[in-house]
Amino acid sequence: MAKAKDKYKVPVLDGKISIPKIVPGASAYEHMIEAQKDDMEALGFPFKLQDGWKEKALGVFKEILDHNKAVRDYMDICVRCGACADKCQFFLGTADPNNMPVQRQELMRKVYRYYFTPSGFFKSLSNAQELTEEVLKEWYTYFWQCSECRRCSLYCPYGIDTAEITMAARQIMDSIGLGQKYTTEVIHKVFKTGNNIGIPPAALRNTLDDLEEEIEEEGGKGVKIPMDVEGAEVLLVPPSADFFAMPHMESLKGYAKVFHKAGISYTVSSYASEAGNFGKFIGSYQNTKEINKRIWDEARRLKVKRVIIGECGHAWRAAYMYSNTMNGPFDFLDSKYKQPTHICDFTLGLVKDGVIKLDPSANDDKVVTFHDSCNVARGSRIGDVVGGQFTIPRELIKASANRFVELREGTTKESTFCCGAGGGLLTEEVMNVRLAGSMPRMQTVKEAVDNHGVNFYALICAICKTQFTKVFPLYGLDADMIGGIHQLVSNAIVM
Amino acid sequence: MEPLNLTTAIYLLFTYTVGLIFAIGVVLRIYQYSVTPQPIKIMLTPAPLTKGGAFARVLGEVFFFKSLFKSNKATWIFGYLFHISFFLLIFMHFLRHFIYSNPLPWWYNIFVGIGIVCGIVMVISLFLLLMRRVVIERVKFISLFQDYLILILLMLIGLAGLSLNYVLTSSALTVVDNQLDPYMNGLLTFQFTNIPSNPIFLIHYTLVMLLILYIPFSKVMHFVGIFFSPTRNMADNPIEERYYRPNAKDLSI
Repeated sequence: MAKAKDKYKVPVLDGKISIPKIVPGASAYEHMIEAQKDDMEALGFPFKLQDGWKEKALGVFKEILDHNKAVRDYMDICVRCGACADKCQFFLGTADPNNMPVQRQELMRKVYRYYFTPSGFFKSLSNAQELTEEVLKEWYTYFWQCSECRRCSLYCPYGIDTAEITMAARQIMDSIGLGQKYTTEVIHKVFKTGNNIGIPPAALRNTLDDLEEEIEEEGGKGVKIPMDVEGAEVLLVPPSADFFAMPHMESLKGYAKVFHKAGISYTVSSYASEAGNFGKFIGSYQNTKEINKRIWDEARRLKVKRVIIGECGHAWRAAYMYSNTMNGPFDFLDSKYKQPTHICDFTLGLVKDGVIKLDPSANDDKVVTFHDSCNVARGSRIGDVVGGQFTIPRELIKASANRFVELREGTTKESTFCCGAGGGLLTEEVMNVRLAGSMPRMQTVKEAVDNHGVNFYALICAICKTQFTKVFPLYGLDADMIGGIHQLVSNAIVM
Repeated sequence: MEPLNLTTAIYLLFTYTVGLIFAIGVVLRIYQYSVTPQPIKIMLTPAPLTKGGAFARVLGEVFFFKSLFKSNKATWIFGYLFHISFFLLIFMHFLRHFIYSNPLPWWYNIFVGIGIVCGIVMVISLFLLLMRRVVIERVKFISLFQDYLILILLMLIGLAGLSLNYVLTSSALTVVDNQLDPYMNGLLTFQFTNIPSNPIFLIHYTLVMLLILYIPFSKVMHFVGIFFSPTRNMADNPIEERYYRPNAKDLSI
């Protein structure tokens, strides 16, 4: 680990989240690895810049302006007040001015001015710029240092959403062959195997068998994780990391125990074995829709009555916010239930109805804190009331554990910081960007550990879990304290 | 009636041209924003569950700058003072047209006094907004020519307007006032009369015309755009009510 530490720029945890003095170009050399040929082609994109790329790019840009109100509106109305500038964890962490949301947008806005507004006449004065390979390089660097967490939009007087602009920029770049390896590879895997990790059905079944054994050894007798069972009541769609990665698997055990104790038949699917939706990260409507469609096709095929989504941030946003528009409506499912349902909502409902019992003293060795994941906090809702995405996970934690503390005020709920790896940044080559982006959140975590003795960091997002598991040791914190809410449930559930 | 002079002819042409460009420009923008489909729901949550609630949320932004308040108190205060005083001044300029009669109402001086206070507040808040852009490193970095331009233009308008009250003698100001009313009436009724020839007034008037001319091409269009911002004006009900725009194209989300 010491070696890895030397390799990376690990921010100092002094408890302060201060606005840095700007350092132009500070993260200009942090690049994503470019996409591979077969991945790009599988997603319907060309590979590498072809002749006429500029015309193509501008054509797609125009199409987006004409067919996306948010981008159209947001290109025009920014007044550069700077309210967003100090709100982005990537600016706070890297000090690179192009990571200020307003400046990130400016990368696209200057091209917009040149081609789509009359101020193109006063080019140098108004900062209008031609789309050159140089500009494209800048786009590729900085639109891949945004995690699409929308913290900036919260603080913008007009609600300008940098994520929408980042997505549009990535869409334009993809359409001319300039893709990012990690996301395109992952989406290609979903099309081939049904999940981000690329686990084929037989291997998935093996893993589930192993997990069943583990649960049995831990005292959960007879708990099953069924796969591809037609006629089950519930289709459970967790992020595929829940099948393979740690600490994600602990939450999967939790889901299984909940279903078992509640006596509700359920199944996971090998075809729709992924709740995550990386199509969203690259801003591609078509790919997002295709990935999302697998869930609803499978719900039809398996004749389930309801669909439940596991602990995953952007997956929940895609399922909750996009599904009905893209592939809905859910009229083939049981209208008695919310479709889809978030696993926390489902479990908490069972607890409240007395169907399952949780013994919070089982987690008495833990002091728990909770990190609101950006896509859940700012991009969706859980349950029936406004802000349910904040109250439901907390209620479930408090039902499972006696000791709970909040992270620093102003960094929770809708003001939460991103883990630093959302939006397709969860890849090795930009580790320094991820570390910088995690800095504000880590300051508050360190504070909670030091002041309150926090030793369990509860998450409901597969990306958050992976990111923190990776960066905690680099900061000198114990990665074992990271886990899902259903890991707490798994400990506390009375079997 | 005295014949129209050349200055008036030029200003009449200028005023109508500016008015036309402004009206067409703003209407086109409104049209463009309304017909462009929003492919998918993107409201920033927690969001109101109903359309009415979402509209109230937008009004909260329009009238109180709620998000900016959350973000930065100093910017909020300067920005809010500027917008309030600016709108009061626009309103009072129109109002004056109905109040300015013979004899003047007894409270006319109080009315003008309020206007002067607004003018001073406006110029000072603009100056503070300008200082922000010069002094704060990150704000300086993001500021463009057009950001300074609009602040300076507005400040000059305010200073010229205040000068009418402070530089002119009261009799000279009365001359301007007496000529202005029929001129403005003429713009609407096409019964043209001469524009006040006082140079300070003409500077004020010209700068205002330049501002109006510039608005459709500038960031000032945020006063239209804010109503169309999908992160603020959409209701959080994607499951309850299917949101679907067939003309959005399967392009970008």
